[in-house]
Amino acid sequence: MKSDIVVETRNLTKVYRDFWGRQKVRALKALDLEVRQGEIFGLLGPNGSGKTTTVKLLLGLLFPTSGQSLIFGRDASDVRKNERIGYLPEESYLYRFLNAEETLDFYGRLFNMPKAVRRQRTFELIELMGLGWARRRQLKEYSKGMVRRIGLAQALINDPELILLDEPTTGLDPIGTREMKDLILRLRDEGKTILMCSHLLADVQDVCDRIGILHQGELKELGRVDSLLKIRDVTEIRASGLNHQAQEEIKQVIERHDGKLLSMGNPTTTLEDLFLRIIRESEAHPGRRVRGEGPGAQVNRG
Amino acid sequence: MVIETEILPLSIWLPWGLLYWLAVVGGAAFAAVLVGWLVAALRSGPVAALRMTGRTLAGGAADLVLISPRRVWALSWLAVKESIRRRVVVVFAVFVLILLFAGWFLDPGSNQPARLYLSFVLTATSYLVLLLALFLSSLSLPGDIKNKTLHTVVTKPVRPSEIVLGRILGFTAMGTFLLVIMGLVSYVFVVRGLSHTHTLTGADLQPAEQSAGDQLSGRTSRVHQHRHEVIIDVAGGGRVKMEQGHWHELTIKKSGERSIYQLGPPKGLLVARVPVYGKLHFKDRTGKDAEKGVNVGDEWTYRSYIEGGSLAAAVWTFDGVTEAKFPDGLPLELTIEVFRTYKGDTSDPEDIPGILGSLAVRNPKTGEMVEAKIFTAKDFATDLQFIPRKLQTADGRTLDLFRDLVADGRVEIWLRCLPRAQYFGAAQPDLYLRAHDASFKVNFAKGYLGIWFQMVLVIGIGVLFSTFLSGPVAVMATLGALLGGLFSQFMARLATGEVIGGGPFEAFIRLVTQQNLVSEMEPGLRTTVAQMLDVVMGYGLWAAAAVLPDFGSFSFADYVAYGFDISPVLMLQCAFRVLAFLLPVFVAAYFFLKMREVAK
Repeated sequence: MKSDIVVETRNLTKVYRDFWGRQKVRALKALDLEVRQGEIFGLLGPNGSGKTTTVKLLLGLLFPTSGQSLIFGRDASDVRKNERIGYLPEESYLYRFLNAEETLDFYGRLFNMPKAVRRQRTFELIELMGLGWARRRQLKEYSKGMVRRIGLAQALINDPELILLDEPTTGLDPIGTREMKDLILRLRDEGKTILMCSHLLADVQDVCDRIGILHQGELKELGRVDSLLKIRDVTEIRASGLNHQAQEEIKQVIERHDGKLLSMGNPTTTLEDLFLRIIRESEAHPGRRVRGEGPGAQVNRG
Repeated sequence: MVIETEILPLSIWLPWGLLYWLAVVGGAAFAAVLVGWLVAALRSGPVAALRMTGRTLAGGAADLVLISPRRVWALSWLAVKESIRRRVVVVFAVFVLILLFAGWFLDPGSNQPARLYLSFVLTATSYLVLLLALFLSSLSLPGDIKNKTLHTVVTKPVRPSEIVLGRILGFTAMGTFLLVIMGLVSYVFVVRGLSHTHTLTGADLQPAEQSAGDQLSGRTSRVHQHRHEVIIDVAGGGRVKMEQGHWHELTIKKSGERSIYQLGPPKGLLVARVPVYGKLHFKDRTGKDAEKGVNVGDEWTYRSYIEGGSLAAAVWTFDGVTEAKFPDGLPLELTIEVFRTYKGDTSDPEDIPGILGSLAVRNPKTGEMVEAKIFTAKDFATDLQFIPRKLQTADGRTLDLFRDLVADGRVEIWLRCLPRAQYFGAAQPDLYLRAHDASFKVNFAKGYLGIWFQMVLVIGIGVLFSTFLSGPVAVMATLGALLGGLFSQFMARLATGEVIGGGPFEAFIRLVTQQNLVSEMEPGLRTTVAQMLDVVMGYGLWAAAAVLPDFGSFSFADYVAYGFDISPVLMLQCAFRVLAFLLPVFVAAYFFLKMREVAK
């Protein structure tokens, strides 16, 4: 069989019913999906499109109305599949009366990990998430971003092969978002499979290898990100060090080949990139301020 | 204290109990599997349903057997942490507050101060601990489901069985901790509340009237609303009489001409008697064997009566009476009820003689019988009598108790009422040999163990309901089970039609039509329908009574308060019953949680 298929759904359907068994919502309609080993798969869609329902069905938190979902070839109701899975829920549902160390130790115990291993993993993950300074603080004192990070840490406690991330970047500031994306890419490079769902297009675009777009419980689009986003009849030219004359020449070349110049000029950076650069500069040189006109002035306007 | 039901020996109790348990649990399990199959069959056809049921059962068996101690430990630890977060310490504060106020209201000068104090602390502790167990256990899982914290737990390789077991163990650990502390505080409260002593000076003592010589008698000072009579004999030894169930040790020191009297702390107040019960049968007025005595018209048929001034007797047969066990003679305690058919002239205190009774010892083999004691019957009180080793027969011979009257460890004690036309009422536990006293501290701890049993049961029920109900509903359901369990014996009698006045529907009609319980119901449609509904209801009540644990039987408060040692056999039976109840509860809770969509 195809051994590199990690997640597979067959005709997966979920209908929410009320107390009397009357149909309320068809949250998911006959989903067929395959996620292969080592890829980052993004489930994309507006709110209420069935992304979270899919993840919950995969994990066995919900039972399918019909169809089947398999992870590592095991049914969703089989607890043994969880040995190799890490799950970060939409919001980090953690025990707020525990501190970071207790939290990770608790989840480590649920994986039946011996004490030495638990201690090692806990230490590594807290350092990785940059929460070393708050390891003994109860989670109720944590900021949203910190809780999110400890939530990710608990998802990684067992060094999982498959990681399910439900809206991984919600509640994170731009730096946190960037770090999360970097971490996701790093995990992929380590050979892990990642399934994430999000409604933030930028996140998905940046990290995912393949995406599926859900709308009203139906899969509308499926494919590789680069091929989906490539606009085949547009050519983007970016160059530096060209004088006015050279630019005119290029325009003429385009016209000669019956092309139409859409725009040409100094390219702008994205707001996200700019923000990040400024913050990084400010961390490298604390105390420096922007005077008068300059690239930093854009920050004030933004 | 009245023990209406005899404690059966384990060798008889265990096999029958096991059989009953298997019948109830097997029946319930079969019904559950059948319902599961029916529901599945409605959805996906009978054959597929059979396969699904089989798979569920196999998976369930695996989940129940392959439990990881480390995961259970982690989940128990979480339950303890959660309890602490829910501020269980407040309960302890409430308990201390209750004791502080109780110090004002509990009267150490009452007739039975130890009984009062002990039943108070045991009752207060059990209410608080049971309520705490109820809330903790039934609110925990629904809270986790509502906060979705359970999502991160069940997506780990955790089996539902481990979640259930972890909860039960965690809350039990927390409850045990609280119970131990409450027990220690209660013990100190009782001992300190009852502790007192009296003073006695030479001026309190007068030469005794009846006997000549140096014998002195008098009364101690008044403390806790009582005084003790004191008798100082010729040899200079002192004796303090029993009052309010206790006495004090008296030490007399000579300092020159004057004697200094000192009384110690109360003795015999906090005891744990170990009774040895015999088998009771009766002799009727002609001296023939009878199963029962006379009925004097009491509705309560617990005690049977013997007629005075006749050959009627109540005969207890004791086994295993050996010299090694009772080297000095037989100490026995009796509580008999006196039924008077005439009364003396109450205006003249001399003319109210107590009703006299006699205790005789008989050898069941040789038939040799000696009258050992003539006593004045004490109504509503436990009387301590002592049968010495050497006994004088009517014809002047001296018999040895063990050589002449005990045959192979068996001896008969005969109780007779002496005055004509007066009656003594007795039941089997009314006369027993007080073999020895066990440690009161241990008995007190056993009393708390009884509360612990109840607490564990409540936690089990609470966790069971919390696997499929929302928090407040689970609380109410657990409370219902607790109350139902307390009345389970009544429900069983209601179901079998033993209760006068019919079932709930008939009783309701009687209530609104203002008919009494015994009058015949008017025949007609209404009565027929009501009685038919009662029969149907009876099955439900019977089932409920069979399933719910009889909480009352786990309460040992009376044993401790009345000063009886709680027999190890009873403790073992209770332990077995707790286990027998928790096992199916655990399995049921597992299946409910397994079938539940956690994220719904």
